[in-house]
Amino acid sequence: MVYEALDFYDIESECTEEEIMVRDMVRDWVDEEVIPNIEAACREGRFPEEWGKALGEMGVLGMTIDEKYGCAGMSYVAYGLVCQELERGDSGLRSFASVQGSLAMFPISAFGSEEQKMHYLPKMASGEWIGCFGLTEPDYGSNPGDMITKASDQGDHYLLNGAKMWITNGTVADVAVVWAKLDGVIRGFIVEKNDPGFSAPEMTGKHSLKASVTSELVFQDCKIPKDRMLPSVKGLKGPFSCLNNARFGISWGAIGSAQACFHSAKEYALSRIQFDHPIASYQLVQNKLSWMLREITKGQLLALNLGRKKDAGTWIPEQISLAKMNNVDMALEIARMARDIHGANGILDEYPIMRHMANLESVKTYEGTHDIHNLIIGRWITGIQSFTRTL
Amino acid sequence: MTEIIVIAETKDGIISPVTSELVSAAIVLGGNPTVIVPGVNDTAATSGAAISGVSKVIACVGEQFSNYDAAAWASAIDACAPAGVIICAATQNGKDLGSRLAARRAVSVVQDVVAIDGGVLTSPIYSGKAMQNVSLQGDAVVSIRANTFSPSSDGGNAEISVMNQSADLKTAVREMIAKASERLDVAEADIIISGGRGMQDPANFAHLERVADTLGAAVGASRAAVDAWEDISHGMQVGQTGKTVNPSLYIAVGISGAIQHLAGMRTSKYIVAINKDAEAPIFQHADYGIVATWQDALPILESELKALLG
Amino acid sequence: MPEIAVLVKRVPDTNAKIAISGDRVDLSSVKWVMSPYDEFALEAAMMHKESNGGTVTAITLGTPDCDKVLKDAKAIGVDRIVRVWDDSWSDLDSNQVQSALVSALKELSTEVVYCGKSAADTGASSTGPGVAERMGWASVSNIIGIEFEDAGVEVLIPRNIGNARTGVSLPAVISCDKGFCKPRKPNVKGIMMAKRAQVEVLGADIPTSSINIVSHTPPPQKASGQKFEGAGNVPTVVAALRNDANVI
Ligand SMILES: Cc1cc2nc3c(=O)[nH]c(=O)nc-3n(C[C@H](O)[C@H](O)[C@H](O)COP(=O)(O)OP(=O)(O)OC[C@H]3O[C@@H](n4cnc5c(N)ncnc54)[C@H](O)[C@@H]3O)c2cc1C
Ligand SMILES: Cc1cc2nc3c(=O)[nH]c(=O)nc-3n(C[C@H](O)[C@H](O)[C@H](O)COP(=O)(O)OP(=O)(O)OC[C@H]3O[C@@H](n4cnc5c(N)ncnc54)[C@H](O)[C@@H]3O)c2cc1C
Repeated sequence: MVYEALDFYDIESECTEEEIMVRDMVRDWVDEEVIPNIEAACREGRFPEEWGKALGEMGVLGMTIDEKYGCAGMSYVAYGLVCQELERGDSGLRSFASVQGSLAMFPISAFGSEEQKMHYLPKMASGEWIGCFGLTEPDYGSNPGDMITKASDQGDHYLLNGAKMWITNGTVADVAVVWAKLDGVIRGFIVEKNDPGFSAPEMTGKHSLKASVTSELVFQDCKIPKDRMLPSVKGLKGPFSCLNNARFGISWGAIGSAQACFHSAKEYALSRIQFDHPIASYQLVQNKLSWMLREITKGQLLALNLGRKKDAGTWIPEQISLAKMNNVDMALEIARMARDIHGANGILDEYPIMRHMANLESVKTYEGTHDIHNLIIGRWITGIQSFTRTL
Repeated sequence: MTEIIVIAETKDGIISPVTSELVSAAIVLGGNPTVIVPGVNDTAATSGAAISGVSKVIACVGEQFSNYDAAAWASAIDACAPAGVIICAATQNGKDLGSRLAARRAVSVVQDVVAIDGGVLTSPIYSGKAMQNVSLQGDAVVSIRANTFSPSSDGGNAEISVMNQSADLKTAVREMIAKASERLDVAEADIIISGGRGMQDPANFAHLERVADTLGAAVGASRAAVDAWEDISHGMQVGQTGKTVNPSLYIAVGISGAIQHLAGMRTSKYIVAINKDAEAPIFQHADYGIVATWQDALPILESELKALLG
Repeated sequence: MPEIAVLVKRVPDTNAKIAISGDRVDLSSVKWVMSPYDEFALEAAMMHKESNGGTVTAITLGTPDCDKVLKDAKAIGVDRIVRVWDDSWSDLDSNQVQSALVSALKELSTEVVYCGKSAADTGASSTGPGVAERMGWASVSNIIGIEFEDAGVEVLIPRNIGNARTGVSLPAVISCDKGFCKPRKPNVKGIMMAKRAQVEVLGADIPTSSINIVSHTPPPQKASGQKFEGAGNVPTVVAALRNDANVI
């Protein structure tokens, strides 16, 4: 079945020619390479290495970063469209791109020294080096500020001690951007695969994001040279500014998952005949399809508007929270509804539905859980933070 | 009245039957044509002269006609042909040659004509999703699809003149390589014959392959066949979880017509179904349904096609 | 080092529904793409440059709406992009199209031209050979394989009895079928190059048209399905496929 993207409000006409060209490039690649192979990758629980290379060749890794560093210097809207198309394939694939671009390359480009940028960014843009982002710890998820991973200054080097958990790409990464406390202040460190005292065992048994690698990062007197600390950021602002970029991408990505589910549900409803007629001809089913269209369209308008604000530099983090929260939520609901429309067929891996649904459960949690975003918006409305009880 | 010139279609030095259809087209367009018969010698010209309705035949003779070379053919034929409307067959070479002749004479070419009615020529455009109707305002080159006009009968006796017309070859055939017998991919093919569980044994797909060979078709399969038999590869599967195909002709043999199968081939231009069960859902979608076992139907199909297509 | 040109055409996506309103096709809501065979021609042109050097110019004929296919070609890596057009033109016939293209090819001192074996809209297959004739060049059509030589190319052309390995010396027009190469994909850098690239617009003197488009009409409705009992009807069906459906 030829994929026809839903574009009820003609978002396409709001985009520039090169944004559409980038989208179509990724769309075609996802149709040709990802969709035919994604179920096998999930079954085997692996992220196909060649996909990372292909993303590098297409030039979409860290694509908003300056051309000077081997990147493309493209708009955030273009980045959003790329995330959308990747996640139409699979959230795991989009996760790979988000982590590489927004969580690993972005902090180096924003807070790194010129030497760090020149050393790491071109190889990461080409996909030769894979990056990961270590913030979450076993005991500190929504509350990373209390992290316990520590760095200590040993004069001519730092020693890292502690552990990170739930780290996307960890096991396959060449470069890890790790957040740890140095004298009680959160700082970013670049850890390389072969640094002594560093290991990254893979976490197994996931029912979600099966085609994405998730790992622990373990630091036992991990020794890293002095020039591996990111010089220009201190405190939670570092990791949070990365998260803002990744969350922005997720708000577009979720539209891709929703589109995949909607497309499948529409085709199925038109072809499935019960009680002598296609189920698409029944009002209850049309109501579901109409609801899906409505939510996808709202999500698209939200994401596009946010993208333009991001390109103009006029955004606030709460707007990103709203978009991430809303669009993941709508995508998850659409996946569930699509599952319902597919009847029993909806549980099979012949259809993309259950995979997207299960993936979106992770997406709902990572990059700030749904409710943490509610709290961020609640604080914006009331001026009262309600993350902790100490007011 | 402008003159009408038919370029005879030849194969291995013999005039192809489509030439008689081109003569009929010429007459509909408004005149008894001059037929140009290209060849390394003039032997084929006699059968051109025998087509009734032909006013005269020019045997255009030259060494260049031993192999198709667009530039050489066009220059030799152009030199033999009077001014007027040129008609050729809408075959691969016919269209190519027609384009050359039109360009040589700085006139337009109208390709793939499937109907002529009162001076209006109709050709499919957008792969048949619409028809374009044009009228000629002066000389032009027109290519006509086979089977559009019924062939003009034999019994003519036109005068033959021979013109020796040599031309320089611009290309050189270095070697003919026998076509690899590798099967066409269903996704690429314009004609597909698919077998389902009703074929009963993968060995029986050999019957489908023989039909496919005569038609230049690809062989496809239903998922039931792919799942049941290792020899039937997944690459052959047509349907929702297989390939989506859009050929001009799809022949389904021993396939019930499940919705997931239909999802992959519903948009075929013509669907033929061979199934022993008159109630099989595939018949609801078939342009031509044959209620019969494949054991009965396929041998007849094969011999009919062989007789027709050689 | 050859001056290589590739002719690319903007056509409705081959999956697009073609509507007719009044007596003309209505293409106002179709998605437009580069004609599929042109993608193979573009790849062949790029391969030619990689093998023998030179420059590749992508040429299209049409209104500014057609710039997109040139940008697509630029994103793949062609050196120049040229659009041939004059605002006074409309509904050009093959004679006019070829004249206009030939004028551009001469202006660019082109030595070899690649194009698709047919365009997905007209399906006419007339541009390649027609342009070659006007240039006084060799042409080969429907090629399914290509090798590059010092002063020419060797192509594979399907014939009834097999594939003809055919030598062609330049200058020539080469019309490409699909399948012999995998058209390369653009990347973001190419797309950024395309964004900055300037489309060169050329005009031309063209003759008047000698055909008149009377109308566009929907295709004839096919007869509703027929079902025959028994294998004895196979010949009837074969005859119908030949004579009514015209598919064999
Ligand atoms: C597949 C996957 C990949 C990941 N990749 C990465 C990665 O690459 N790098 C990285 O650093 N992290 C990663 N994470 C971790 C992710 O960011 C955390 O899971 C997330 O921040 C939530 O933390 P938690 O799982 O510890 O949940 P918790 O923080 O324990 O939250 C559990 C529940 O409590 C709720 N909750 C928590 N605090 C409050 C409160 N104050 N008020 C109300 N409700 C509250 C939450 O909303 C949630 O419903 C990944 C996670 C997953 C699942
Ligand atoms: C999620 C999903 C995806 C699917 N995807 C596909 C897909 O991509 N492609 C696909 O094809 N199917 C697909 N299917 C399977 C589909 O539902 C059918 O099961 C399948 O198409 C049946 O194949 P069939 O017609 O060959 O077999 P059957 O339905 O068993 O039909 C066999 C037919 O052969 C006829 N027959 C038997 N003997 C003879 C004889 N001697 N001569 C003539 N006729 C004979 C019978 O009358 C019968 O009509 C999918 C199913 C699901 C659930």
